[in-house]
Amino acid sequence: MTLGFADYLSLLGAEALLTGLALLMILLGVFLKNKNLMGYLSLVGLAISVFLVVGVDMTKGALFYGTVLVDPMSQFFKLIFVAVSFIVVISGLSRYKDHPAQDEFYVLLLLATVGMMVVASAVDLVTLFIGFELASLSTYAMAGFDKTKENLEAAIKYFIFGSVSSALMLFGFSLLYGLSGTTKIAEIANIALADMGPATLVALLFVVAGFGFKMALVPFHMWAPDTYTGAPTLVTAFLAAGSKKMGFVAAFRVILVALVALRMEWFMIFAILVAITMTLGNLGAIWQNNVKRILAYSSVAYAGYISIAFVVIGAPLGEMVDVKSIPFIGVEGISVPVFGLAAGLFLILAHAFMKTGAFISAAVVEDMAQKEGKENPNDIENYAGLGQRAPITAFCMLIFIFSLSGIPITAGFVGKFLVFGSAIYAGLVWLAVLAILNSALSLYYYLRIIMYMYIKEPAGSKIAEPKGYVVAQLVAMLAVIGIAIYSEAFFQFAQRAAEGLL
Amino acid sequence: MISNAISLMIAIPLIAAVVALFAGKAAKYVALVGSLVPLAISLQMFQAFENKANVMQFVESYDWVPSIGVKYTVGVDGIGLPLVLLSTIVSVMVVIYSWGESKRANQFFALLLLNEVGVLGVFTALDFFLFYIFWEVVLLPMFFLIGVWGGPRKDYAAIKFFIYTHVASLIMLLSIFALYFSYSASTGIRTFDMLTLIQATGDSAIFSPMLMNVLFFGLLFGFLVKMPAVPFHTWLPDAHVEAPTAGSVLLAALLLKMGGYGLFRVVVPMLPNVSANYITLMAIIGVISIIYGGFLALAQKDLKKMVAYSSVSHMGYVLLGAGAFTWLSVQGAMFQQFSHGLITCVLFMSAGTIQHTAGTRIISELGGLADRMPKFAVLMLAGFMASLGLPGMCGFVAEVSVLAGTFTSELPHMQLYVLIVIFGGIVVTAGYHLWAMQKAMFGPILKKYLDLKDPHSYELLSMSILIVLIIYFGVQPALITDIMGVAADQVMGPVVTLAQMGVI
Repeated sequence: MTLGFADYLSLLGAEALLTGLALLMILLGVFLKNKNLMGYLSLVGLAISVFLVVGVDMTKGALFYGTVLVDPMSQFFKLIFVAVSFIVVISGLSRYKDHPAQDEFYVLLLLATVGMMVVASAVDLVTLFIGFELASLSTYAMAGFDKTKENLEAAIKYFIFGSVSSALMLFGFSLLYGLSGTTKIAEIANIALADMGPATLVALLFVVAGFGFKMALVPFHMWAPDTYTGAPTLVTAFLAAGSKKMGFVAAFRVILVALVALRMEWFMIFAILVAITMTLGNLGAIWQNNVKRILAYSSVAYAGYISIAFVVIGAPLGEMVDVKSIPFIGVEGISVPVFGLAAGLFLILAHAFMKTGAFISAAVVEDMAQKEGKENPNDIENYAGLGQRAPITAFCMLIFIFSLSGIPITAGFVGKFLVFGSAIYAGLVWLAVLAILNSALSLYYYLRIIMYMYIKEPAGSKIAEPKGYVVAQLVAMLAVIGIAIYSEAFFQFAQRAAEGLL
Repeated sequence: MISNAISLMIAIPLIAAVVALFAGKAAKYVALVGSLVPLAISLQMFQAFENKANVMQFVESYDWVPSIGVKYTVGVDGIGLPLVLLSTIVSVMVVIYSWGESKRANQFFALLLLNEVGVLGVFTALDFFLFYIFWEVVLLPMFFLIGVWGGPRKDYAAIKFFIYTHVASLIMLLSIFALYFSYSASTGIRTFDMLTLIQATGDSAIFSPMLMNVLFFGLLFGFLVKMPAVPFHTWLPDAHVEAPTAGSVLLAALLLKMGGYGLFRVVVPMLPNVSANYITLMAIIGVISIIYGGFLALAQKDLKKMVAYSSVSHMGYVLLGAGAFTWLSVQGAMFQQFSHGLITCVLFMSAGTIQHTAGTRIISELGGLADRMPKFAVLMLAGFMASLGLPGMCGFVAEVSVLAGTFTSELPHMQLYVLIVIFGGIVVTAGYHLWAMQKAMFGPILKKYLDLKDPHSYELLSMSILIVLIIYFGVQPALITDIMGVAADQVMGPVVTLAQMGVI
């Protein structure tokens, strides 16, 4: 079936809208004196995009000569990216109000979002790489946006690590292309991996390393705590919740397809990687007093939890040759790999909202402490008595932290429930036990923040909470609770995405 | 009868909690109404309950996450209903006792209500997913009650309480996963329905003996920590000592009962399908808890710590009765849950009142308080007598049933355990109660306590209502034990699922 121009527009409407809007905003920015309009423009664009993303027909197949695919998987991630940007923009309305260069912030944010959306849809290595670079270059600039000393350090660190990871990834891609003569992921999986040699393994290793940086998997996680701590907090929220998820979708699209085609017992390597990532992330967080750093390390730990999906998908492949031959369970059953991937996707969705929210709450405290002239604006001491100083922020932060630690009834709880359950489903009891122990360990540093917020005596008087931050946090909080209550709809979405990929 | 009684009973305190949070000074009135209405509903349910029917009643069931088989299913039977009644009674009493709370009162009363939501949910949920949610929800209000209104080491106590019990719940969760996936793998039906899964554990084609034993251990561990049984009791004294009085009362009267409820709902029906060694293990842990808890209580200088350890000792009877697996012992163990729930309220309230009138809970620094606080002394004495098992009060009925039932058990060594408890436990129990009472309340009054007065009327009111109930159920235990007798049959016989009842 050939698709006409109208099909292209309806399938990729959100990308088209956001790109157009970004370009328009660059133009407007030159002429406008008062740039507060920009934030609202991007807000409207993103709000429309949410509907465009969810409303598309996901069955039409590949576009642009089979390089871009609109399927449940891509839309699932696009929904996350657009929603996260939406929340970040709302808080940006307060943070960058009357800022002389605020148009650049929003333009970069929109372009980064478009880049991530392209990655979510890419089924071709070149398209994937272009999307990756678009998102990366925009976020490099954003990481140094406030131009403080910490910002610049964070941005440089992020830039260097990011460039190296791009180079590694590109090298891996070039090897794959050389081996197979095509850039389409599905064809590479069929051709190159059919006669696997050392070169294929090296290529995959480079690709895994490249994506590993973005996902912040140990041992490629070093940059994450530093960058997350140093970057402007809103950008950190975007990086942790958006950019990191881009790494995951790319990994699902490339590594998973390749590894499934490999038909060997590779899941043990991933299991060990996951175990180390979870444990190191949590151990790293325990010693920190800087809340942004705690959240950054918890993000590393979460990369571990989410990656359990890789292990669960791989585990039954050891014995059975083809995914399709794994027995289905139940009347309308779900096989182990589908369940594992769907659980991982659900946790990604949950993590996106709770991490965005948590970082925005941290931004409120940071702004407050900066105004009071505190030396370390993110120190946990500044959270003392937040329940009385900033009740809305503290309450939202409380919900985000409960969600991160997996306490009902929040999205994080359902996500962890599904992921840990999928590990048991795949017979990986040791991994489930380790994940659960890690989850219990993480409770310590999460509870510490709550202790400070609600139990310590306040360190100052009540503050005015900026409106943008408040709205952004409330939206994220409603999402965190709503996803848990209506988990059926989101889990089915994730399940369809997983079925489409495998 | 009101339809959706259980959902209503859970929803009203939840709504009241939110209202209380914003009610400012009126929070205590909101809390009183918000806990009286569930009490009325539970009394109504108690009236309408079919005593002789061996099945779930007031069942409600709705799909929640059908793609993994999660349902919102609630219902009560003879195991759950008495505990529902206990929860609603205790919640009202705690609100009355805390009437004078002034520190962040709106949050305080909201947390009391939230706690009620959690425990009512645990005692009525019939879906493991829902059960686990409520099980965890209960931790939150208690964490804040200890953390905000607690004593000097509240930070440590709150975090220890949370992490310790959370780890236990997670281990229990692993077993729930194992139940769920094994069942769905062999039958093709994905369900978290508690009764269906528990009944299926009898089918060795689904659950191999090896799997059953591992899985059973996880569940048992989760419940034993909550009860708490020796050697998993170390979180309890810390939590109790630092918690405010209302927190301690809820902790001992309701939260510990969740562990016991889990035993009867989940663990005991599985006993015939697991290794017989587990029965011995449960009975031995029960006996050790009774005796070791008693001796620990005897050694305490702090009155509240003494009461806390006495809880460990009394909850040991629940474990012993469940492990002995006779009709009378199981029924006695269930009644022990109910009666200990009432009695321990009075004990902790006494400790709390002494703390804020005399300014200390150290037994050796107290003396002759009865002289200035006569009304309080009568109530406290009644509570202590009930706790040591004075005939005519409900604690006596429960403990005698457990011991008599255990004595008739055909399982090995049960008679020996009973003898050990009688000679090693009961004397000690009487000892520490009488000694503490004598030292703190009677004898010549110390000079520094000359200007003490009886405590506030609301404290006396809640304590006296509880004492009346303790005596009432001591003289008329049949009101509750009739229901429990049927429940004991049910626990020991094959589980009747909702599908078999034709409810869903």
